[in-house]
Amino acid sequence: MNKTLLSIVVATSLTLTGQAHAGAHVEVYADFPITVKNYTGSKTHSEAYTGQIARHTLHNSVKKLVSKGASLEQTKAYFNGKETGRVIVDPVSKDEFAVLQTHVDKISTGKNLSGKAYKGLISGMPGGLTGAELLDLMLEKAAATEKGFDPLTGYDYTQLISKFTMGAVFYNQAVDNYLDEKLAADVNPNSKAYKEGKAYTGKEHVWDEAFGYFGAPAHTMKLTAAQVYGIAKQKADSFAKADYNNDGEVSLVTEMAFAHAYYAASFDKGGKTKYLHTIVQAFLDGRNLISSANGEALTDAQRSKLMSYAQVIKTQWQRLIAEAVFKYAGSVYGDIEKLEAAIEANGNAVKLYRNYAKHWGELKGFALALESGGVNLGETGVKLNRLIGYSPVLLGNTQVAALVDGEFVQSSSVSLSEYRVQMIKLQKLMIDDFEVEARNKNVTANLAQLVDSLGEAMAAEND
Amino acid sequence: MDWLFEFIQSWFSELMGLVSQGSKRIFFGYMLSATLIAVVWLMWQRQLNCLAAFRWLFQGKIWWSSSSQSDYTIMLLNQPIMLLLSPILLSKLALATTLFYALNDWVSRPLWFSDIPVFWVSVIFTSCLFVVDDASRYYLHRLMHRWPVLWAFHRVHHTAESLTPFTVLRTHPMEGLLFGLRSVLVQGFLISVFVFVFADRVTLLSLLGANVFNAVLNLLGSNLRHSPVPISYGKVIEGWLISPAQHQIHHSQARQHWDKNFGAFIALWDRLGNTLEYGSNSQELTYGLLGQKPKEHQLVTLYWQPFTSSWRYFWRSKGKLISTNNKTHVTSESQ
Repeated sequence: MNKTLLSIVVATSLTLTGQAHAGAHVEVYADFPITVKNYTGSKTHSEAYTGQIARHTLHNSVKKLVSKGASLEQTKAYFNGKETGRVIVDPVSKDEFAVLQTHVDKISTGKNLSGKAYKGLISGMPGGLTGAELLDLMLEKAAATEKGFDPLTGYDYTQLISKFTMGAVFYNQAVDNYLDEKLAADVNPNSKAYKEGKAYTGKEHVWDEAFGYFGAPAHTMKLTAAQVYGIAKQKADSFAKADYNNDGEVSLVTEMAFAHAYYAASFDKGGKTKYLHTIVQAFLDGRNLISSANGEALTDAQRSKLMSYAQVIKTQWQRLIAEAVFKYAGSVYGDIEKLEAAIEANGNAVKLYRNYAKHWGELKGFALALESGGVNLGETGVKLNRLIGYSPVLLGNTQVAALVDGEFVQSSSVSLSEYRVQMIKLQKLMIDDFEVEARNKNVTANLAQLVDSLGEAMAAEND
Repeated sequence: MDWLFEFIQSWFSELMGLVSQGSKRIFFGYMLSATLIAVVWLMWQRQLNCLAAFRWLFQGKIWWSSSSQSDYTIMLLNQPIMLLLSPILLSKLALATTLFYALNDWVSRPLWFSDIPVFWVSVIFTSCLFVVDDASRYYLHRLMHRWPVLWAFHRVHHTAESLTPFTVLRTHPMEGLLFGLRSVLVQGFLISVFVFVFADRVTLLSLLGANVFNAVLNLLGSNLRHSPVPISYGKVIEGWLISPAQHQIHHSQARQHWDKNFGAFIALWDRLGNTLEYGSNSQELTYGLLGQKPKEHQLVTLYWQPFTSSWRYFWRSKGKLISTNNKTHVTSESQ
């Protein structure tokens, strides 16, 4: 075969391969074909991630219960329990935003959060606890407070538990388990059903579970970031966009936005980033690739490609959590400014202190989440923990320093003003080490605005 | 070829920006106001009728002289050169951000300013920016005259023998770089200090997209500094604000006018530096440098000669920046 003929054949086959791939491309995370050999069941599609969505509803419910001042028994029923009959506390139907499922069992049975919480050490809080132990401790402490807030330590448990659960369960399970060791060739192979009689292969299900933990609607690629944000907020004008199958109700399994997908949308709607669509596209590309293997074991080349999609997801997911750290560092900075001004003017600081604690809880929860990704953050992690500390700096310049006999103990700390400066350094750390780009609540944003308002420096004008 | 197309597009856009943006001196609004002021002044002071005032103002021997023609050429050529040079300039935002971080590291933020209302914070910021920016212009301009290595570049501006508003753009790109650096340092420093002290309560009071003080003074006819119209404000005002007549003195060939009136807007710096000279409505001056030859308006001389002259000064002085107080305004050849 001469060179010209060879190049024509190669070009033609590449084109056809491209067309075949494009033809198989799916924009919605749904209706993937069943590729398990000799499947005899009644299912018509292979994707399945109801267990992950059930956990999203458990997380939302725990958050709501803690904020309402529920008892430890009530919160544990959702966090640790697996009993049937649990009502979904959040999200629930609202005016002009009807939700299909009202009970966790309607989505998946026998699920809890504690069983999937990160078992590694969390160094961002005192006591040498694992992620799971820390969440248990927080639930106990929260139950002893009024509506989840402890003014003595400045801990807003509603936020701490929520944001850290998102990290220690959803993020950790996805990036440190399903998109990591479970992508190995000999684990959950694609040539076998995930379990006997199931409609999906090992690799298909592993990938689906990771997608489920991200919390994006299946039809995300047909939506804008602002629309996904509106769906998570259950805004009436977002209902039509959420109800993709037009059945008049939003399915929490396929049509709702949860957890990090909601945060990705919240950053992306600013227009500077595309976390949501980049991550969902990588999930779709990976799932299409697995489906295209048609129930055979993935070749080295296919698995390598799949790992590259997984890497995109991991990098973007970590960065969007860093964006949240950046944002709440800015909020805490602003809260301290207001507190300082109120103290200087002998004003009322109660509400300001509450806001400060709330934002700090969100900041700390996301910072702890970064520790849960199965990646050693090294010096970055040390800086992160030192800058934030174990608690917000309190008005008497004290901060939680240790956990002794199950009690948080305080000692003297940097001043409130110095702590505010640490928030600037924290934002800089997120820029330098995680390359965050959305930069919501940027403390130095005013510098950029002023530079813009003054225009370019270069002007060949002469007097 | 895409890059070439984009480059030409940027060039054209920069040129359009010169007349469409209020931050530029030859913005059409400032040109229009300067024309109106000049016509009214000519009718009042020189007893000309409106038409005659226009004719006098736009006489061809000024606007189409070889000096003015080289102004226009420099204006066209400097835009792409500055486009290419601007990336090497220190970023104003980078400097402001670095200083802001450093201030937070070194200094405890004063809290007693937090009571000042937002409007007054903006007034203070805008005023400080105007004053410090103007002072730094005075100082750099003075250095451009006093240090031979810098004068070699600045003399390009002073070889203008007829003054029109476009003469403001008769600047060697190296001088543009130096003034750009000055702007970065001054504005970067002030922005970082103000944001450090006042946080997000700082805004620039602007008019037509420029500092309100600059915009108002430009509307009041700063383009007449480079024009044949010798408007003097009288001694009292000229002790505070530089009038068109005063700046025209700065361009005068006469020995007694050398190294006078370096100021841009504020005359106080000239008073403090003993370089102030008052203007007169009836002054008649010859512009340019003593012994100037026609080749001064050729492109090679305008763009290349400053480098060779500067190097020669530098070599002769063994690297020392010798002051040439009151020795400029003659051609470089005779220095």
